[in-house]
Amino acid sequence: MIYIFTALYCEAHALIRRLQLVKNQKTTRLQEFYNEQSGIRLTITGVGEIAAAVAVSSICTAYPPAEDDLMLNIGTCAYTRSAGAPQTRVFEDGEGVFLCNQIFEQATGRSFYPDMLYRHPFREASIVTGRMPWNADAGGASDNDIGHAGAGVDGNGYGGKTSGDAKLFHVRNDMLYDMEAAGVYQAGVHFFGPHQMIFLKIVSDFGTADGVSPGQVERLMEMHGDALLTFIGQLLERMTDERQRDTSPEAELADKLCRDLHCSKTMEASLKQHLHYLALAGADVCLLIQNLYKEGIVPCRDKREGKLRLEELKQTLF
Amino acid sequence: MKNLNKHYFNPFFSHIYVETAVLGHPFTRRILAKFPAAEIIEIRHYKDVFCRSHQSSALQHRSQKLILAAKQGTLVYEGAPVCQSFGNRYFYYTSCAMNCIFDCAYCYLKGMYPSANIVIFVNLEDIFAEVAQILRMHPLYLCVSYDTDLPALESIAGYVREWCAFAGKHADLKLEIRTKCADPALFARETPSPNVIYAFTLSPQAVIDAFEHHTPSLAKRLSCAAALLQAGCAVRLCFDPMIYVKGWERHYETMLAQVYDRIDMDKIVDVSVGTFRISQDYLKNMRRQETKSAVVWFPFQCERGYCHYPDALMEEMEAFLTGRLAGRIPEEKIFRWDMETTEHGKA
Ligand code: SF4
Repeated sequence: MIYIFTALYCEAHALIRRLQLVKNQKTTRLQEFYNEQSGIRLTITGVGEIAAAVAVSSICTAYPPAEDDLMLNIGTCAYTRSAGAPQTRVFEDGEGVFLCNQIFEQATGRSFYPDMLYRHPFREASIVTGRMPWNADAGGASDNDIGHAGAGVDGNGYGGKTSGDAKLFHVRNDMLYDMEAAGVYQAGVHFFGPHQMIFLKIVSDFGTADGVSPGQVERLMEMHGDALLTFIGQLLERMTDERQRDTSPEAELADKLCRDLHCSKTMEASLKQHLHYLALAGADVCLLIQNLYKEGIVPCRDKREGKLRLEELKQTLF
Repeated sequence: MKNLNKHYFNPFFSHIYVETAVLGHPFTRRILAKFPAAEIIEIRHYKDVFCRSHQSSALQHRSQKLILAAKQGTLVYEGAPVCQSFGNRYFYYTSCAMNCIFDCAYCYLKGMYPSANIVIFVNLEDIFAEVAQILRMHPLYLCVSYDTDLPALESIAGYVREWCAFAGKHADLKLEIRTKCADPALFARETPSPNVIYAFTLSPQAVIDAFEHHTPSLAKRLSCAAALLQAGCAVRLCFDPMIYVKGWERHYETMLAQVYDRIDMDKIVDVSVGTFRISQDYLKNMRRQETKSAVVWFPFQCERGYCHYPDALMEEMEAFLTGRLAGRIPEEKIFRWDMETTEHGKA
């Protein structure tokens, strides 16, 4: 399963359409979209770190992720332009998508590091998560009400003016700036390892978020939709490959053998440990178990006999 | 632009994390120059990356990253009394790197460290200073390829050469450089030094194929050891850890035949023999990471916090090898590790 979190609907629209996600009509608090078949669950978190963290923990509590699941935070962000750089620096086609290799929380100065394991066609950058939208002209986080993806359009309660922002982290030029990534990471870390979390950001502005409309965000996401989809497709493919390698046909037979040996919990653990080892060492465990039945060694009458047979069996294994 | 294709993982060292404090260190610059295409990520402290919770060492081993940092606090450690010191009174070790580019399934580093990424401490000069200070008090037997395989990192860090040069200036310092590496170019340049011992870990080829991923073959390790011996260097052979596989007697017998064929045993400093053993805590971590590795899922006998092969098997394997070696090398040169010593799951 891939869990996708975006702050706004307009950031998700292109993915919902391309991934053929359907809305979960049973939920009211968060907008959720899913496709059981392809194993995708997308949630709109709302703008800001806290909203993002709440959404991640709420979804992951409702649908606990497995060890090989992935979490993607996808959304728009600002690019902190160099002083004196032209106001409207435009990224070449396909260049506007960034994979984040380092996340800073502006308010605390803390840093977080998702693993950078997978090949990708995007550029990489550090991202700063702040409480307010990035306003280049004001030299940093602005106190206006507009979030990066043309927030003010989401109706999720974002927009309160904050004061006393610690700004422990000094935002440098040529970084990404958003309002969710650090929150997603900090909530995500309770459910995922750093190898399972991926942060993809699309540059929507250079510190002029109030000029970005939802329609523009939607078009921007549309423009990069194919690249995002290809990347998600490759992640899904890898997950399928790994899972196929993980299937163990002997598990059911081992359960039957445990029952027919009248195993206690301790005996069962010991037997399964031996069988697991043998399977990993390349032995045909299914054949081995079938032979025990053929030779009439199992089923046993009772636990006493089962214990004897188990010890005999263990002796012959090495 | 990088391409996403069937090879899902980034190449090794695609990303290098560098502590801000060591960005300008000459070793940092030397190492970074070898990876012009890498993404360099500046970090405050290596533990911000190395010690994150819930990392997957199995996945990280498919795309290891490099971390360059400064080692702080104690830099040289006294070996525990239970450590095998090969008869040396002042036995110490130091870790100028953590983790390994090889990927032995049984390596205890997987149980000990939270990450599979490699840390190289660039402030080697501080370690040298601490060693020099200890040398003012007494001689030193120092293992420098500890918690890593230093020669395997030589093309990146160049620390074997640095250590050998340092040892050349300190007659009271005896170094052990333990390795599974077999790069002839690496060792060809070494001039024999009486106070540097090259310790090669040897395993049957079947064990190498099954569990010692990315390591050189037995034949290559032996060629390398033979070349060093020929050049007059001190060489130790480590048959430790011995790993159980089906038909182990045959595999170890074949290995010994290859050893005797390539190595002049009269010239060997000594040999060590010991079956795989590991602390229960490390094994638990390793099993969490290595769900498909036969070597860590062996049904071990566990007692007093340590796991090892069942007594009878352990005795049989070690006696087998020491027995076979006894005819070829004086008994006092065979160091058999007993159950009471530390865990040993690495080269
Ligand atoms: S056992 Fe030695 S060679 Fe193998 S991975 Fe560990 S440190 Fe490296």
